[in-house]
Amino acid sequence: MKTYDLAIIGAGPAGMTATTAACAQGASVCLLDEQQTPGGQIYRSLNHCDEQRGAILGEDYLYGKTLIDPLSTIDADQTFGATVWRIDENGHIYFSTHGQAHRIQARHIIIATGALERASPVPGWTLPGVMTVGAAQILIKSSGLITEGAVLAGTGPLLYTVAVQLISAGSPPTAIVDTQQPANYVTAAKYLPSALARAATLKKGLGYLAKIRSAGIPFYRAAGDLTIEGSTAAQALSFSHKGHTVRLQTDNVLLHQGVIPNTQLTRSLRLKHEWNRAQRCFHPQTSDWGISSQSNISIAGDGGGIGGAIAAQAEGHVAALGALQSLSLITTEQRDAGAQPHRQTLKKEAGLRRFLDALYPVPEEVMRPSDHTIICRCEDVTAGEIRSFVKAGCTGPNQTKAFGRCGMGPCQGRYCGTTVTEILAAENKLSHDAVGAYRVRAPIKPITLGELASLTGTGD
Amino acid sequence: MQESDFAIVGGGVVGLSIAYGLLCKGKTVTIFDEHDNALRASRGNFGLVWVQGKGSKLPEYAKWTRQSAKSWKNFAAGLSDESGTDLRLQQQGGYSIYLTEQSLAERASDLQNLKAQLGGDYPFDVLGHNAIKKEEPHIGPKVAGAILHHEDGHVNPLLFLRTLSRVVRQRNAHLVTGKSVASIAPLNESQSSDSGFVITTADGAEFRSRRVVLCAGLGSKTLGQPLGFNVPIRAQRGQVLITEKMPPIINRPSDEIRQVDEGGIQIGASAEEVGADDRETLDITARLAQNAIDQYPVLAQASLIRSWAALRIMSPDGFPIYQHSRTAPGAFFVTCHSGITLAAAHATLLTDWICADQPDHYRDFNFPDFNITDFDFSAFSEERFNA
Repeated sequence: MKTYDLAIIGAGPAGMTATTAACAQGASVCLLDEQQTPGGQIYRSLNHCDEQRGAILGEDYLYGKTLIDPLSTIDADQTFGATVWRIDENGHIYFSTHGQAHRIQARHIIIATGALERASPVPGWTLPGVMTVGAAQILIKSSGLITEGAVLAGTGPLLYTVAVQLISAGSPPTAIVDTQQPANYVTAAKYLPSALARAATLKKGLGYLAKIRSAGIPFYRAAGDLTIEGSTAAQALSFSHKGHTVRLQTDNVLLHQGVIPNTQLTRSLRLKHEWNRAQRCFHPQTSDWGISSQSNISIAGDGGGIGGAIAAQAEGHVAALGALQSLSLITTEQRDAGAQPHRQTLKKEAGLRRFLDALYPVPEEVMRPSDHTIICRCEDVTAGEIRSFVKAGCTGPNQTKAFGRCGMGPCQGRYCGTTVTEILAAENKLSHDAVGAYRVRAPIKPITLGELASLTGTGD
Repeated sequence: MQESDFAIVGGGVVGLSIAYGLLCKGKTVTIFDEHDNALRASRGNFGLVWVQGKGSKLPEYAKWTRQSAKSWKNFAAGLSDESGTDLRLQQQGGYSIYLTEQSLAERASDLQNLKAQLGGDYPFDVLGHNAIKKEEPHIGPKVAGAILHHEDGHVNPLLFLRTLSRVVRQRNAHLVTGKSVASIAPLNESQSSDSGFVITTADGAEFRSRRVVLCAGLGSKTLGQPLGFNVPIRAQRGQVLITEKMPPIINRPSDEIRQVDEGGIQIGASAEEVGADDRETLDITARLAQNAIDQYPVLAQASLIRSWAALRIMSPDGFPIYQHSRTAPGAFFVTCHSGITLAAAHATLLTDWICADQPDHYRDFNFPDFNITDFDFSAFSEERFNA
């Protein structure tokens, strides 16, 4: 079994930066990522990006090359197409490539598995023809596929970014249905001063909105009661707007309500997590150096709380330095000095994030979906059914499995987990921390029995 | 203060089965069930209604198990009538599958002995490779053979648990959920019979009941000792795998592998003495996967979506304990690791016993298809461990 000082799971901005930073200090490093090339979701497939695609996706995407390029010059084992499906407390990491299971060991592990899009459980969201905004962007990045004639519904920076990218690609959205409310500006205003350290980013955002406006795309503000109509596929999106019901014919609906940390690995390790009220999601508890409740495991990037790509990059540096110091590969002084510039970045990004969190909060209808809305799409469990479990004595997410198979599908609750916690907290009048989350168990991504069996007798 | 005839401390399969039986007898019942992250044996079970091999060292247990398995059909039908839910009970037999001729022969001889002890009434067949292959076309070349016991079967355990909890509510059980019980105390310290109990939950709320049934799994230990119970139990970890939903592959369940009615293949049968640790481990799950592939090679390509571990509640000899307190009359301690198989007996015969005026001497059972008139509950007393 190969052993390393440091293993890094995920090659997004946090993981790439941590790898490069740790190698620079002479540590033996292994980087594992599920995709075929580095970049994570944010810089996905950037290595294969041609000029035309680059023009559509813009300079923030192309910036990722500054993180990807150094990987080809450093001395780290880098395995792509590697699905990590189990990590043990003792530092054993199990992953599969091409249907073959492998095991390595690391003295310290940095989990940098990033974010996933928050589910937008509105009536009809599971119909064919409905995707997330992020999924539409993945199609552009990985294969240049442009979603045509789409209605974008929801809110958040990524929604506007993808709208602009679709405009640049010559397939502008047919409408934008924004669930952001005017009151959100009032709430966000008090965080504006702290966000001004990132004035350029704010200006860029305003530029996106201007671009959408000048493209003449119908923009419905303060929309609510989103419903996707259709029996076998999406046919229309209806919603309330200024006291009326609007119905837009479309067979392509792209939903978005921001992103949340991917906590599958950190939950499977039973690390301590906490509920973030501003971001309405759980994230693992970490020290200033990214170290989790278990001393040999660190978290960097959006997986530890949503901060965005620039913050993730800085956290990758900080987490690498923290890990190397805890392994006694660098001194405390080296660690502290090395982290200094990145801490400044993190401070500025945190100011911006507080503003964005207040500006684009999760709407009530997504946190507390109507009774007939499907929540667990693997097992077809509705919000009303989950509420009926509560009446039967169900106090937490793990009991929803016994009461109605909720969260028992192949995704292990990755998509429904946060919504289930929201519903149970509201119904039982408990805090989100008291309600808790699904217990996640290996394999965190499906593997074949054959892959698992191939490791018989190699365990500990 | 809430008052009821019975307090059931523990809302798992065992507690709910007993609660259901008591409610059917017209008793008022309060059920106490813990929070979401409690160690729950009922969430880890394999759904077997199982007879073969049980009780070779305690014939009373063999009789008890078989009676429960036989009663399951009526029991399930009653629950279905009340709830409208089909529990997917299948009792068309089940296997123990062996990879070597020797282990098959040893098992066959054990069961022959048990059959003799039971007066010849113990319906099983020994199937060689070709015979099992005929029953189960996907069986692999490594399989030497199997025991087919015709009284074995399985049920959907989650549907069962959910139905029980729904039906007890329909019958107006009072549920106290999300709280742990801090103490159970006899109202009258002077040991006079049946003066009742006060149950206090962790938040300080108090409940009164005339009798109390302690079936709180591992939690029974601290709660039971003040009531005069020894509670000689320990946790034994079992690990389980479940695959994606698949087309029909396996007809009958075995004690290691079964295809659940939703289509997933459930694989289990590990036992480890590791204390109260319910984490799943690589070495055991890999071994379970290999064993499943040895028996059904087609499963090598099956997609595994989850593994988990849960804690069985084991007595020193593995058999149930049914104990009436000698120091606090009206308090009962119930534990077993076969809560599904025994559910039918727990809902009927066991509740007869705990409702009786003098349960220590109870002999007469009022149950339609039960023909053992002199069933001896003292065989299940925890006092058997005192010698």
